[in-house]
Amino acid sequence: MTSLYIHIPYCVKKCSYCDFNSGPHPRALMDRYIQALGKELEGTRAISEGFQTVYIGGGTPTALDEAQLERLLTLVKDVTGTNPPREYTIEANPGTLNPEKVRLMKVGGIDRVSLGVQSFSEGGLEILGRIHSPLEAEEGFYVLRDAGFSNINLDLIFGWPGQTLEEWGQDLQKVLRLGPEHVSAYCLTIERGTPISMDVRTGRLTGSDEDLQHKMFKKAHASFTRAGYKHYEISNFALKGRECLHNINYWNNGPYLGLGAGAFSYVDGRRYSNVKDVQKYIEKITSGRRAVSFTETLPSRRRAAETLVMALRMHSGIAEGEFHRRTGYSLTELYGPSIEKFQHLGLLSLTGGRLRLTQKGLFLANQVMVEFV
Amino acid sequence: MYTDRIRNFCIIAHIDHGKSTLADRLLESTQTVSSREFREQVLDDMDLERERGITIKASAVTMNYKKDGKDYVLNLIDTPGHVDFSYEVFRSLAACEGALLLVDAAQGVEAQTVANAYLAIEKHLEIIPVLNKIDLQQARPVEVIEEMEKTLGMLPRDVIKVSAKSGLGVDELFKAIIERLPPPKGNSQGALRGLIFDSVYDDYRGVVVYLRVFDGSLRAGDRIYMMKTQMSFEVTEVGVFKPKMSPVEALHTGEVGYLVASIKSIHDVEIGDTVTHDKNRAGVALPGYQRPLPMVYCGLYPTADTDLVPLRMALEKLSLNDSSFTFEPERSPALGFGFRCGFLGLLHMEVVQERLERESNVNIIQTAPSVTYEIVNKKGEVNKIDNPDHVPMEGDIEEFREPIVAMKIVLPSEYIGTVMQICEERRGKYISTEYLSEKRVILNYELPLAEVIFDFYDKLKSATRGYGTMDYTFLGYRPADLVRLDILVGGKKVDALSSIVHKDQAYYKGKKLAKKLREEIPRHLFEVVIQAAIGSRIIAREAIRPMRKDVTAKCYGGDITRKRKLLEKQKEGKKRLKVVGSVEIPQEAFLSVLTPHE
Repeated sequence: MTSLYIHIPYCVKKCSYCDFNSGPHPRALMDRYIQALGKELEGTRAISEGFQTVYIGGGTPTALDEAQLERLLTLVKDVTGTNPPREYTIEANPGTLNPEKVRLMKVGGIDRVSLGVQSFSEGGLEILGRIHSPLEAEEGFYVLRDAGFSNINLDLIFGWPGQTLEEWGQDLQKVLRLGPEHVSAYCLTIERGTPISMDVRTGRLTGSDEDLQHKMFKKAHASFTRAGYKHYEISNFALKGRECLHNINYWNNGPYLGLGAGAFSYVDGRRYSNVKDVQKYIEKITSGRRAVSFTETLPSRRRAAETLVMALRMHSGIAEGEFHRRTGYSLTELYGPSIEKFQHLGLLSLTGGRLRLTQKGLFLANQVMVEFV
Repeated sequence: MYTDRIRNFCIIAHIDHGKSTLADRLLESTQTVSSREFREQVLDDMDLERERGITIKASAVTMNYKKDGKDYVLNLIDTPGHVDFSYEVFRSLAACEGALLLVDAAQGVEAQTVANAYLAIEKHLEIIPVLNKIDLQQARPVEVIEEMEKTLGMLPRDVIKVSAKSGLGVDELFKAIIERLPPPKGNSQGALRGLIFDSVYDDYRGVVVYLRVFDGSLRAGDRIYMMKTQMSFEVTEVGVFKPKMSPVEALHTGEVGYLVASIKSIHDVEIGDTVTHDKNRAGVALPGYQRPLPMVYCGLYPTADTDLVPLRMALEKLSLNDSSFTFEPERSPALGFGFRCGFLGLLHMEVVQERLERESNVNIIQTAPSVTYEIVNKKGEVNKIDNPDHVPMEGDIEEFREPIVAMKIVLPSEYIGTVMQICEERRGKYISTEYLSEKRVILNYELPLAEVIFDFYDKLKSATRGYGTMDYTFLGYRPADLVRLDILVGGKKVDALSSIVHKDQAYYKGKKLAKKLREEIPRHLFEVVIQAAIGSRIIAREAIRPMRKDVTAKCYGGDITRKRKLLEKQKEGKKRLKVVGSVEIPQEAFLSVLTPHE
């Protein structure tokens, strides 16, 4: 079954590290955008079996005002109503949440909220260019809990310029005290062209070094594992049964449909995306055309490589039989020598026919994956 | 009678003094090139030359000029303007009776001005001093004319002032060329003697030989004999450059042009050789010149072993048009199979390397350049060594000799102290100081070539705010206290990182090099140890800590394509690394041997 992703390329203010398709837009434009989304959603009615998961991401979906949010959720419900998804997530920014929006989310059928906390450090939030305070983040979490949300993810970023191992430890403790069901802890990637990359390049900020980030990574792993979370993907931790189904589908290289400006879809081995520009997206959809601007169909050999690389992100890795079933290739025939080499280096383990990254290999995943692409 | 109407000349100048622009103006004024087909700087016909603003290969062009109702034929033989190619200047001069000595009115007399003027004087050429760029605001004609007088003995009244860019003074220059330069002498009835001063390879015609006829004449269909190589060929075409190749019936005494004789390889033609008729051979060859020996060597290796053949093909192709570039196969224990390549100098090396990169798709590892040393063994035999790895054990060396050059540096006098310090640090021997004027001097030094080829020019430029210029000639070999410095990576000696250094600097350089390599070699999945050694003595040690973290934090639906492309890029990058043992070494590391001074 396919998953559904809906992109809201809208936020109050772009964060310093963000290179996503998002930014502030006039309210009227967002109205038209939601209208266009509705039209694109209509087209999915043909998928009779419904969606196994739905994910509304951004940007900041909760930056929409109450009316817009309600409209959006109604449009989704119109399509999924008869076949509710097993998991329905929305991303939320603590600076944009209020009890009314949370109530609308609940009524709309959402059962999982991913709250972009990023840091509980005042300085960290400033460097990251976030619009909310540590206190607002905490409040946001409680508002969600009070509204009855029992599946909450907290997004965290570590390894930002100037962050110490102690500060990271405090963030981790804070999160554990709140007790979300799921935590995504991302090591900051300084993407080209972002404000933070300029600051690092000009020396205004000093990027965190590899060894410190490694220590932070290990600390996160130790803290969450000790508290009963499973480190089930490179950057993701979850209580039992609370792994994000929507994301697992990506890592399984499963099919998904992406709606909205710049959203990617992957259907029948073909990957494509809509135009990034919000205006152009609206124009195309409104005039009854498709908004696709990029398409790629990988040859089976490269698709197999992608399947492996994505699967290795998960702690469960991939079983040889499963790989063969999904790709038609034999894992050892394709990659035997590389697998052996990385086993020898202690980065991969192949036990009981299942290939996975070791603890050490998890932090060096790219070094392994680069040999498979 | 006709010979009287010929003038053969070249333009000699320091780089950037406007030689090519002046040549263009002469071509334009004589309508050798119509303005429609006119491209800036016609004589630099290789893209690379155009880009770098230098002329690498000598070139010749025939122009027609009318003065006082008489038709004249002017042959301009172009010369390169860089120190590496002074030998090409020399061979161009040999084909001429006169030279235009071009000096930039703002820059003044520079190192190559002096060097080239001396060459012309030595060859008894008639010199017309020309002051260029007189319309520049920064022009200082009075001072520069004084410099020309003081150093080169030019009379101020003889100096012709031009602006090659605007064409100002060019008519007067033509007048001087005709009135002051002597027509060629020679015996038009005698046996053919033609001097080969250049050759190029043409895909369609084979080798095109540039020659200046000194005696007799040459026609298509003639059977010729090369007096030095003792080879004979049948001439299929003779002609002149206008500037495109234009066939003529015959090349007569005093004329400059080309011959085509279905010669397959450029290596069958020796520059400086004398062409005569096979049947009616001349008794004595023209004074030729020695082919220059490569002064600088480096190893070129394909990063992937499978690229060996494409690399060899690319080198062969390059050598077709550059007889001063040499290459032969060599095998490095660390780098595998590759080629030892010889160059006239560092610029020549860079030019060849750039062309290789441009014209072949091979990823290349270049080892640090080295000069040719002489090693006298215990039996008294002298061996030339152009690869540091071939240096024998210390106990087998009776004497270690290095090449020394006579260096001429022209600079503003205020920088004398700094430049002398640079020369001293590089083991230079002070010879003399000459004053060009109150403000500008010529410093003469003797320097080990090895100390010159690395960064001497850059250092000179930065120490003199760009005003210093240099030129050098090879003097000979002298004994020196030299040792081989080895580098071990992961306990394995990497022969391509070996270098020859002076004993007094060995420790310092070993430490420095190990540190530099620690920065250049990326982190690996294991610790990489770098050691510097002289013989079996380890003199420095550095360790690269293992890589801890290399992971993409986020990878969801919209990221997959981009992240995969990043991984693919990372993989491409790895291909540029040379694997030695289990250590991946980037190209930059092989050049880090080149950082002897700070």
